[in-house]
Amino acid sequence: MSRTRLAGGWVLGALATLALVGLSQVRYTAAVGPDGELRLAWRYRSETVEQCRRLTDDELAALPQHMRRDEICERRLQPWRLEVTLDGTSVADDTVRAKGAREDRPLYVFRQLPLPPGTHALRAVFTPIGESGRAPLELDASVTIETREVVLVTYDPDLDRLVLKRGP
Amino acid sequence: MADRVLDRVRQPLALADAWMNRLYGWRYNPLYHTGVVAAALLAAVMVTGVYLLFFYRIGSPYDSVARITNTIWLGPWTRSFHRYASDAALVATLIHLVRMWLQRRTWGSRALAWYSGLVLLFLILVCGWTGYVMVWDVQAEVLAREGARWMDALPLFSEPIERAFDGERELPAAFFFLNLFAHVALPVGLGVVFWIHVARVARPVLVPPKPLLWGMLGLLGIASFLLPITMGPAAHAFRLPGTAPYDVFYSFFLPLTRPAAPWLVWAGLLGLTGILVLVPTLLRPPLARRPAASVVDERSCTGCEQCWLDCPYEAIDMVERTDDRPYLVARVDPGLCTSCGICAGSCAPMGVGPPGRTGKAQLDAIARFCTTHLAQPGEIVIVACGRGSGGISASLDFEDAPVFPVQCAGNLHTSTVEYLVRSGAGGVLIVTCPPRDCWNREGPLWLEQRLYHQREAELKARVDQRRVRLISAGEREQAVVHDALAEFRAEVRALGSAEREESPAIDLECDVPEPEAAEAHQ
Repeated sequence: MSRTRLAGGWVLGALATLALVGLSQVRYTAAVGPDGELRLAWRYRSETVEQCRRLTDDELAALPQHMRRDEICERRLQPWRLEVTLDGTSVADDTVRAKGAREDRPLYVFRQLPLPPGTHALRAVFTPIGESGRAPLELDASVTIETREVVLVTYDPDLDRLVLKRGP
Repeated sequence: MADRVLDRVRQPLALADAWMNRLYGWRYNPLYHTGVVAAALLAAVMVTGVYLLFFYRIGSPYDSVARITNTIWLGPWTRSFHRYASDAALVATLIHLVRMWLQRRTWGSRALAWYSGLVLLFLILVCGWTGYVMVWDVQAEVLAREGARWMDALPLFSEPIERAFDGERELPAAFFFLNLFAHVALPVGLGVVFWIHVARVARPVLVPPKPLLWGMLGLLGIASFLLPITMGPAAHAFRLPGTAPYDVFYSFFLPLTRPAAPWLVWAGLLGLTGILVLVPTLLRPPLARRPAASVVDERSCTGCEQCWLDCPYEAIDMVERTDDRPYLVARVDPGLCTSCGICAGSCAPMGVGPPGRTGKAQLDAIARFCTTHLAQPGEIVIVACGRGSGGISASLDFEDAPVFPVQCAGNLHTSTVEYLVRSGAGGVLIVTCPPRDCWNREGPLWLEQRLYHQREAELKARVDQRRVRLISAGEREQAVVHDALAEFRAEVRALGSAEREESPAIDLECDVPEPEAAEAHQ
């Protein structure tokens, strides 16, 4: 192998290594712009709703002897409604259902709402859908958000209410 | 149609091969060693990883990595080397995958290597991602949240994984413990899958040539010293990720997937995986055009075991004979045979090989070739491998030299070369693909040994070796063939005219008499 080719080989190797090093640390902005974020995140265990009904004679007859019960009951956690308004504008209005195929796992709220820096009037209401012994959870607050800051709205089980949380 | 498209797509790779051959020669061309380069780099990653592990703390991930980067002896160098070698290993793996795909080395018995290779690629990526999460900087947080977002779209978890990162509570140390466990355990799985990856090849090459290995590690070492990696900002649940350094090799998908809905990401991932999984099926030729597995003519087999030794895919076994001959007989497993035909070149009595490519079939073909092409005594005949050879194997002649194509140079039986020389060919220029790029792994290697080093089925001593020349050239290296032909022509001219025999009889020296005939002879 000639010296020229050997040198060329090393130069190409060095260039490839430089490219590798460069591509290993490319600057990227995951969240573009100055907007902050209002994050609503909490876990909530709502009341159990039980619905029972009597089986018809035909339904009973279709079942094996040992599985026949007069009444069957289905239990699930009650769904709640989430309404969020920012500066008087509705930004979320959803039904939050319990997780799990039988809807027997807790409700989980997770919303990420972009918010320009500044002070905003926030109203978040979390209300049970249907009859319930529990009172709605409400939060009315004035939120001041800085550039790229995240403000969290979460549920405090000790206080049994929605609270605002900021980073250190 | 698909073949033509694939051949077109392969051209840039062939061109890159040719350029690299000019700089490094085929022995050290890194494009020919991508598989072993990836394996060697992963080994280096593991060694450096063990050192880093001593200083990593799951209780304070970011701070401990910052300590490694700033104060630990050799810490910045080791961490940089660990990162750069991981990147290079991924690049080498991807090139290896593309190479195998473009060369259609994916179906039949090679499918196991293809599928296990896909698993290896997946494990390398997951290993890389867990490695980045260990640092718990901005890139780690974005990767973790993105992964959680994808997983949460699946109806598998009663509570969303993303909840761990939403700032409601501190990220538990258990998360970093699990991540560290995965990062350390996955390389073990990587080793097992790598073993499966090479399980069906004989004599797997596991280490790159030393100059390439040390050159590569040296360059990465120097880069790690001169351009060490820096720390990105720490992850922060209450601050949106700003601009930070990202590793393109392991985070390339973020700009594509982050704005997309998770179901779209899953659809893309499933589609890509489906295509990769289907590659062996899609590239497999239709049954009518599929090359047949080698067969053994048991009457000719002398039990010498050479085909068993030479087979690059361990598709041949030596088994007990069913007749009363006192030696073993070769048996081909069609499920493992890739129809490379290397056994045809290794069998002195010409008793094994794919149908139509056995030594005997080659002799018939070369006899016909000599009748039609060897009009002038003293002509040089080029025997060209179908894969490399500067792409001349499809031509009838190259610069006035008739071309005799073979599917793989490893198929070539030395009796064919003998036949050509004794038929009056001035010289036989055998052009193989570069040995490290042989689609059948060891074709040029065994041919070289048969021609010059007395490997079984060797070229007979009665053949003037000055009239036989072996060179290698890649698909886009016609200039190499041109130069070699010109040089060889001049040398052959100096030798004077070649002796010519009409229809030379080739001795089948190992031809075994039929048992009845042998008994009658006694």
